[in-house]
Amino acid sequence: MSNEIILNEDEKDCLQELMNIAYGSATAAITEILDAFATLSIPRIEVIKTKNLKNHLSKEVNLNSTHFVCMQQINGPIAGENLFVIDNNSAKNIAIKFGLEEDEITEIELCDIILEITNILSSSTISKLAEDMKAMVSFSPPDVKILDNINKLDNQFIEKYQNVIIISTRLKFEDLDIDGQLMILTTDKSITYIKKTINKILNEI
Amino acid sequence: MNILVADDSKMARKIAIKTIKETLSENLQANIIEVNNGEEALATYQKENIDVVFLDLTMPIMDGFEALQKIKEYDKDAKVIVVSADIQKTSMDKVREFGAIDFVKKPINIEKMNQIIQKIL
Repeated sequence: MSNEIILNEDEKDCLQELMNIAYGSATAAITEILDAFATLSIPRIEVIKTKNLKNHLSKEVNLNSTHFVCMQQINGPIAGENLFVIDNNSAKNIAIKFGLEEDEITEIELCDIILEITNILSSSTISKLAEDMKAMVSFSPPDVKILDNINKLDNQFIEKYQNVIIISTRLKFEDLDIDGQLMILTTDKSITYIKKTINKILNEI
Repeated sequence: MNILVADDSKMARKIAIKTIKETLSENLQANIIEVNNGEEALATYQKENIDVVFLDLTMPIMDGFEALQKIKEYDKDAKVIVVSADIQKTSMDKVREFGAIDFVKKPINIEKMNQIIQKIL
């Protein structure tokens, strides 16, 4: 496989729109649970060298303060990993929205809530994306880590693959002071699959 | 008939335009103008004689909520159909409150477009 996998502007636009639709469904599911209104952001698509992933993430996510980083593996033609990153304060605000009192909020409770949010957000997003791409995917149970330094992020992609496609969107509840970021990381083989499927879709329009 | 399609995605605009063309009857000529953000949608609406607007919500520079409000402020009779992936109930309620005549979940299909065209003609 070539080291260079590039998505042209039309391919990026198509993937961005598919992601927009997928993320719209996922956000609706979350907002229904939280009984809140989220501001949707325009998804961003980037293909980067895996060796630059940590650097990229450190620019994207401010891990100088405590953050919850939840990872969920995706299996199938769109294989990879979902990363949901949320700061401590936002996580606490979600917990309060879930009905917990301040003195009931522990790290374990927060981890549990973030796991559930990630599960809903990432599985709804990827399921919709996979449906639009006519692919079957499955999910491994999510795992959450509390990090305050990007170097503590133990990510399978760093060693295994050459390229990684990053699709990122924000989950932002302005009224509730909740701000999280969902990143979908897929790998060389999946990028090729996505590129092929996108071109099929573009030819059909 | 002048139709304005506002969406930051080229693909979404292409789908909307294709569906509009497939839905309109042969004897109804449509002039379709494309723009890629809310600010351009508002400016085009003010400059051209637009009959109907298909408006996305999540767009850069000016989003669809603001564009809808400003278009309706400019012309209270403006016919605006929101086409969006933002299917939160609050979003749907908001656009109806701001005066959109319909909310369509993306991707728009011919059946739904048919209902819209019937409604606006």
